[in-house]
Amino acid sequence: MKISPAKVFQHPLIIRVTHWLNVIALLIMVSSGMRIFNASPLFDFKFPHWITLGGWLGGARQWHFFAMWIFVVNGIIAVIYNVVTRHGRKTTIFSPKDIHGLLPMIKYYLRITKKHPTVEKYNSLQKLAYTSVPFLGLGVTLSGLAMYMPVTFQEIAFIFGGYDLARWFHFIFMALFVFFFLGHIFMVVISGWWNFWSMITGWKRVSPIQK
Amino acid sequence: MIKTLYFFGAVFLSILLCSCDATPSGKIEQGLRSFQKFNDGVQQAAFSKNKLAPKIEDKDLTPESQFRVNDYDTHTPPSDTTENWRLFVTGLVKHPGYYSLAQIKELQKQVQNSKHVCVEGWSQNIKWGGVALWYFLDWVGADSTAKYIAVECADKYYEGYDMESARHPETLLCYEAFNKPLTLQHGAPCRIVMPTKLGYKSAKWILKLVVTNTKPGGYWEDQGYDWNAGL
Repeated sequence: MKISPAKVFQHPLIIRVTHWLNVIALLIMVSSGMRIFNASPLFDFKFPHWITLGGWLGGARQWHFFAMWIFVVNGIIAVIYNVVTRHGRKTTIFSPKDIHGLLPMIKYYLRITKKHPTVEKYNSLQKLAYTSVPFLGLGVTLSGLAMYMPVTFQEIAFIFGGYDLARWFHFIFMALFVFFFLGHIFMVVISGWWNFWSMITGWKRVSPIQK
Repeated sequence: MIKTLYFFGAVFLSILLCSCDATPSGKIEQGLRSFQKFNDGVQQAAFSKNKLAPKIEDKDLTPESQFRVNDYDTHTPPSDTTENWRLFVTGLVKHPGYYSLAQIKELQKQVQNSKHVCVEGWSQNIKWGGVALWYFLDWVGADSTAKYIAVECADKYYEGYDMESARHPETLLCYEAFNKPLTLQHGAPCRIVMPTKLGYKSAKWILKLVVTNTKPGGYWEDQGYDWNAGL
């Protein structure tokens, strides 16, 4: 394949690998988590059996406590990489100067303004979403630890108001993750194939229209 | 855009197909169970026998009327054997034999509020009473260098514990709940209470206690729950 000049390098290898490992880990965590939830639901509903992983509570726990290691270790690597290399500091990390860009983007998405505000790699709403992900990861991990070992990690459980409340926090963080995931998938689908492909190869073909 | 849609459609369908195979079987199940042993080791390493469970005030206790009975499978409480009940202690002990409830009640009593955390996710705060298991073990002259304690129950339930957890200050050989003798449904006359472990470790209706160096199984552990079950 010829390398055309209309290609830009978007995603370093570590970002791509951790991204896809995270997809696998999250899918296992959420689907087995729903099975665990069903054993003693917090709310008046159960998740349909077919969407859950593990078959029964014991199996779901095996999956959950296996994938948690991928999720956590992979997440730590991704965060360290971002902090050390300052990757994305200008393009992806939300900073106070991005606040003024929020309203125009919301208006655009709500079709109040027709013209897409001029943005760089990511607009401020995207930056906000991407930047919140490591914090969601931290929240879901800590609340998970508080449920997993509420005696050994009772200091963490205390932060969440004890074992029983930690279950609520864990659920809420998970729901926010899924909310991000759905929004992310939606955006990826409307951004088209080459944007998606760049998360695999690292390179993005920029079409003349986008440029 | 169409390509992307197809791709995610394919990914989604593959996930569906995988998760339809609800019970992990064969190699995947083996792999997960080996990994579970790794987690058991991590939990054991994280365990400290000096770390007490979070303190529970009397006002935060579960009302006695809501004290939940967790029946499982087809197991039903065995008929009341309180009159003739004896705890058979055997294995690596200086004084093996049959111990009556009266003998156990003569030992120093420990009353404590502990959270009972079920593997299913619910929990209850119960006021338990009994003798600390470490005290009982010393009293019968159990070899404290032995690695495990195994118990067998009147309903064919069985459990196993590492010695460190068994000797945790809050592990009880329990005969009271809410300052009253245990009811039959809650394990009368005598049960294990282990606030540092998931509820399935707190075996009811115990008949036999073995001090051993052979790692015991457990009713649920042998079906796939984690052996350590540490909280």
